[in-house]
Amino acid sequence: MHILLIEDDVQAAEYLVKGLIECGHVVDHAPDGEDGLHLSLTGQYEVIIADRMLPRRDGLSIIRILRADGKQTPVLVLSALGEVDDRVAGLRAGGDDYLVKPYAFSELLARLDALTRRNQTATTENHLQVADLVIDLRKQTVNRAGKIIRLQPREFKLLEFLMRHADHVVTRTMLLENVWDFHFDPQTNVIDVQISRLRAKIDRQFDVPLLHTIRGAGYKLSETP
Amino acid sequence: MKLPRLLRTTAVQLALRYALVYVVVLSLALSAFFWSTTRYVDSRLETAMEQEIQSLTELFDKEGAEYLKEEVLRRTEAGRQDDRLYLLVAENGDKIAGNLIEWPDDMDIPSDGSIHSIWIEDDNILGDFYDDDAYLPVVASGFPDGTRLLLAGGVEQAEELQELTEFLIEVLGISVLLALLMSIVLGRKILGRMDTISRTASEIVAGDLSQRVPVSGRTDEFDALAVRLNAMLDRIQRLIKGIREVTDNIAHDLRSPLTRLRNRLEVALLEERRPDEYRQTLEAGIEDAESLITTFNSLLGIAQAEAGNHRTQWGPFEVKGLAVDLTDLYRPVAEEKGQTLVLDDGQGAVFTGSRDLLAQAIGNLLENAIKYTSENGTICLKIHQTDNAIELEVSDTGPGIPDEEKEHVLERFARLESARNTPGNGLGLSLVKAVTELHGGVLMLENADPGLRVTMRFPDTPVT
Repeated sequence: MHILLIEDDVQAAEYLVKGLIECGHVVDHAPDGEDGLHLSLTGQYEVIIADRMLPRRDGLSIIRILRADGKQTPVLVLSALGEVDDRVAGLRAGGDDYLVKPYAFSELLARLDALTRRNQTATTENHLQVADLVIDLRKQTVNRAGKIIRLQPREFKLLEFLMRHADHVVTRTMLLENVWDFHFDPQTNVIDVQISRLRAKIDRQFDVPLLHTIRGAGYKLSETP
Repeated sequence: MKLPRLLRTTAVQLALRYALVYVVVLSLALSAFFWSTTRYVDSRLETAMEQEIQSLTELFDKEGAEYLKEEVLRRTEAGRQDDRLYLLVAENGDKIAGNLIEWPDDMDIPSDGSIHSIWIEDDNILGDFYDDDAYLPVVASGFPDGTRLLLAGGVEQAEELQELTEFLIEVLGISVLLALLMSIVLGRKILGRMDTISRTASEIVAGDLSQRVPVSGRTDEFDALAVRLNAMLDRIQRLIKGIREVTDNIAHDLRSPLTRLRNRLEVALLEERRPDEYRQTLEAGIEDAESLITTFNSLLGIAQAEAGNHRTQWGPFEVKGLAVDLTDLYRPVAEEKGQTLVLDDGQGAVFTGSRDLLAQAIGNLLENAIKYTSENGTICLKIHQTDNAIELEVSDTGPGIPDEEKEHVLERFARLESARNTPGNGLGLSLVKAVTELHGGVLMLENADPGLRVTMRFPDTPVT
């Protein structure tokens, strides 16, 4: 996809551009706020990555102008931990997601994927399906290959999130934020244990596993690993 | 102390202004007093003189010129210190009797029995009972034989009035002086106390943060100010101590993992290796960096909680809902270890503060409990609302913490000797403590026999 990166740190921008291109994306880089604003207003991007602290114009004001102009391009805000007002201010300004430095590159990739996916699946559907696994959002039921699977409410929410992001990697932090609404970093493998419980219910009795662990990144719900 | 600086003090300025107002008001009052007294005395005097000249005129009419002369002589006898001046002159102006030497010729005095004020020189007066030339009230009377009588009066009364006036002016002067003196004393005193405060401030600026403003014990406004300033300095000192600790800890505890990371990468580059060996090194490097970041984030999180930077997320929320979410999240991990995680949620207490921070604090406590409790142990998260407090309590059936170690475990990077081989950075409880205190609560560690009970007790009236 076509990505605009607004980042003033030359080295950080360099490896981000390199990494994103290697992952098959097309990247434009703006080294300061004014350039970033100009490019984001004139160019056609699927997603914008904006640093918060930028020379000449700060990241949040770019988002505000963009939104005032009617542009709905999803924006991922990057910020250094320790800046006041943090996540809430970033989201309040119209950012779609917020990532605190230092972050893992895999986390950034997964969130970019999630942002563009969210855009595509804005339609309300009653059913989500991946291979032979189907969930009914209205009745809150799950079945795989015609067999009913009983899930607890939280497990259902976890599965729903994974299915909404099917074929894309979701990270542990994304799950913690979206399924539990927690914004801290647990020091134990809570998410792994939750996932392995869910996996036991949806995969154990079936030949083709759907819930995959992606090493160093997170999880992916997909027919193919 | 230099005078100009003293003069610039608020106390002296105020006192000077008061003194000025005082002088104006007192002068007005004195003038009014002087004026009305003079009028009163004058009118009394005038009445008396009019009566006297009338009685003397009657004497002339009844007894004749010779008798009047006798009478005047009698009244001006030496030694008879009346405050009246008399002069009886013949038609040609020659003096017949009296204690004035000659008729004041500079002015024509109508002999109509009314009062006039004329200038009488000292030289014109016999005897020495008045020292200065002065305007005196006079009254004159002419008789049928051409003789004239002049009566002047009020010398003593005029003198007394003048003395009174002088006295009052002296009083005014002395009180202004006193006011000035008072203001200077007051100004010096205030300056003195201000100086102790600014001396303390300079010492602090010079780097000695332990300095405090002395409190005199007089419980006046300076003491109140000193107490406030000292409280502020205490807080600043605590914060700076916290920052120093963080930097010390970073220097101390991040140095070795950073060195490890660097060495790992250097060694990998020493000679040509197989691609899978490079991959292994890089993956290990990422893991090292990951753990460094985690430690770093925990430290910053604690520092932020201590500084109170989370006000945007401040708001009321149901503790019960949070507790349910947290036990949901951690129960599977506990069950994997064969432990039971129980939620005793009591009533639906509403808590005001940061949900994120409180979640992280309780999360840390649950993680610790799960980590240190053995198989088949029980971990209990309990919400307890009393009349004036909300208590959040995490208890376990683990080994607990020895009493003498309880203070120590709240410090950053504190690890119990017995926990050396368990993973962890020793920052969990520091964060719990910082979060508890940010919300105005206290953190208590107690023995649950067996096990540990950690209680965060928050006042019911929320900190906003």
